[in-house]
Amino acid sequence: MLTKTQAVNGAAIKKAIEGRDGKMLSSFYADDALVRVIDRNNPPSKPREIRGRAAITTFWDDICSRAMTHKVDATIADGNSLAFTQACAYPDGTKVFAAAMLELKNGQIARQTVVQAWDE
Amino acid sequence: MVGDQKSSGRADTIVRPIETRYALSGEVRIAYQVVGQGSFDLVFVPGFISNLDLHWEDEGYTRLLRRLSAFSRLILFDKRGTGLSDRVDVHHLPSLETRMDDVRAVMDAAGSGRAALLGASEGAPMAMLFAATYPERTRALALYGGYAHFHKWVMPPERLDAFIATAETAWGTGATLANFAPGRVDDARFSTWWARFERLSASPTAAATLARMNAEIDVRGILAAIDAPTLLIHRRNDVRVDPDASRFLARKIPNARLIEIPGRDHPIWTGDVDRVADLIEEFLTGERAVGEAERVLAALLATRIYDTARLGDRMWSERSEHFHETWRALVTRHGGRCTDVHGETMISRFDGPGRALRCAAALRDAAQQIGVASAQGAHVGEIELRGPPAGLMGRVTIQLAARAGRGEILASRLVADLAVGSGLHFADAGRVSIDELDEPMALVLAMSEQHLEPACRPKARATEPACLTARESEVVSLIADGKSNAAIAAELRLSEHTVKRHVANILLKLDLPSRAAAAAFSARQTGPDGP
Repeated sequence: MLTKTQAVNGAAIKKAIEGRDGKMLSSFYADDALVRVIDRNNPPSKPREIRGRAAITTFWDDICSRAMTHKVDATIADGNSLAFTQACAYPDGTKVFAAAMLELKNGQIARQTVVQAWDE
Repeated sequence: MVGDQKSSGRADTIVRPIETRYALSGEVRIAYQVVGQGSFDLVFVPGFISNLDLHWEDEGYTRLLRRLSAFSRLILFDKRGTGLSDRVDVHHLPSLETRMDDVRAVMDAAGSGRAALLGASEGAPMAMLFAATYPERTRALALYGGYAHFHKWVMPPERLDAFIATAETAWGTGATLANFAPGRVDDARFSTWWARFERLSASPTAAATLARMNAEIDVRGILAAIDAPTLLIHRRNDVRVDPDASRFLARKIPNARLIEIPGRDHPIWTGDVDRVADLIEEFLTGERAVGEAERVLAALLATRIYDTARLGDRMWSERSEHFHETWRALVTRHGGRCTDVHGETMISRFDGPGRALRCAAALRDAAQQIGVASAQGAHVGEIELRGPPAGLMGRVTIQLAARAGRGEILASRLVADLAVGSGLHFADAGRVSIDELDEPMALVLAMSEQHLEPACRPKARATEPACLTARESEVVSLIADGKSNAAIAAELRLSEHTVKRHVANILLKLDLPSRAAAAAFSARQTGPDGP
């Protein structure tokens, strides 16, 4: 499995996100991982929840199918916690900015919370 | 705040106006917009005509787009030949393949590698052709009111010629509305919008060209090649496209499921928009949509007035204006709120059905006195807290008023059930099928006025000047002098509107049908010892 060959760390995540490698990204997650997304349409009291590796794979496949640039800036690691910010842009110039906080368990992502905002 | 205030329940969601951009498809510019930031892309392929800017001015359209962009990154565009995109050469009509490629060009420009497609009406065959041509770029296919062959399911060649003839002579007047949404023909605001929609989407020549282009559509041969999961939605009594069209698609597209819903209006942004959006959201996200707007239980009353006495235009407009004033006063008096006016149909909202019906009885009497015919409908259910009751509830109530006979107050059975113990009486009025409702609706007629207004009949009220305020007495005597509202306003240093309001209240208090009667009344009261 890919999960064994690629340790989850800031550098690996940066490489996968910036390379729009959905397969690689999905492989970082535990089978029962939970991704929570908070944005204008998904308020903090009712965040969008993506549960399980299958759903998370679809999520990353969708995101990575977009011809956009991603740049992972600051990555901070602290024990089993990992945080980073990400600046993205569509070809027409529309920008998206996201901040993510990750909890790791046995070297895999168990829980991730993304807060994002975009031009509109 | 900039932007639209019509986003129904989420009035504050738009910060900036939506930006329109242009993609290049060959040598043709295709206008597109991107709304929302969901994790997957959804491309909306519209029907016959469209105009990206104008959509945001219609309540139903805005609602649909808001709903879809809440869970996706929604990509909208005007097909070539319509709206903000380049026109097509009348003498060299582009093939469906060329037009389908506009979808790809827009997706490329918007950076969308893979998207779900929503094809509505004529947009459906284009979306199907895209899905068959670019399976790797098609995440899923949602088709609303679609078809594979124009002449078989939309109109045969002879009817098309008639449609084009109408389009060429009456385009821009909204004359085509009856062909698409007969349920909205009486909605003055929507008819006006539709006429603009025609004008701003295409010229008469462009409209005829688009109709001819659409008439060539036949994608029956490619249906088996579609392998994206496909949802088909069709309104059971769709006036424009035969529901058999979607039944055929359900048989021929390998991975398709058809859901038939009630309703006859064809455009996807008319009728029960939320139902369509719910189905699409559930299909694409796997999750049921959760109601976002704040909803409350309320009773709605639709009051329709009409002319049976063949009054001249002028007399009708005077009486109509008088009734509108009276309506405002009576609704307020019965604790209700005047929420909306569609031409001669007025909508008011009450906390409970008892109040709505008592107000309805008072309005019926007032109409009689003013000399207009009234017909009313009452219904109870959940409506959105903010804005006019634009949803299903409002439309059902308006339909009840449309069905009610002269002087009748036609209510849903639910109104009667909730009014038990209120002293109101009802007679069974059978069941009727209402557009957009799955089941026929049980109806009742609110009965005889003595039950509705047990305490004091307006006729029994003392018609003495004492019940007029000092200001109203002044207004009455000026009316008796034969002065117009404008003249009275000038004399009393009031606005004309305030004077109108006084006049309406005076007529109501004195139970009189007209200004002339008020003048006569004033003369009677002003005896030798008069003011």
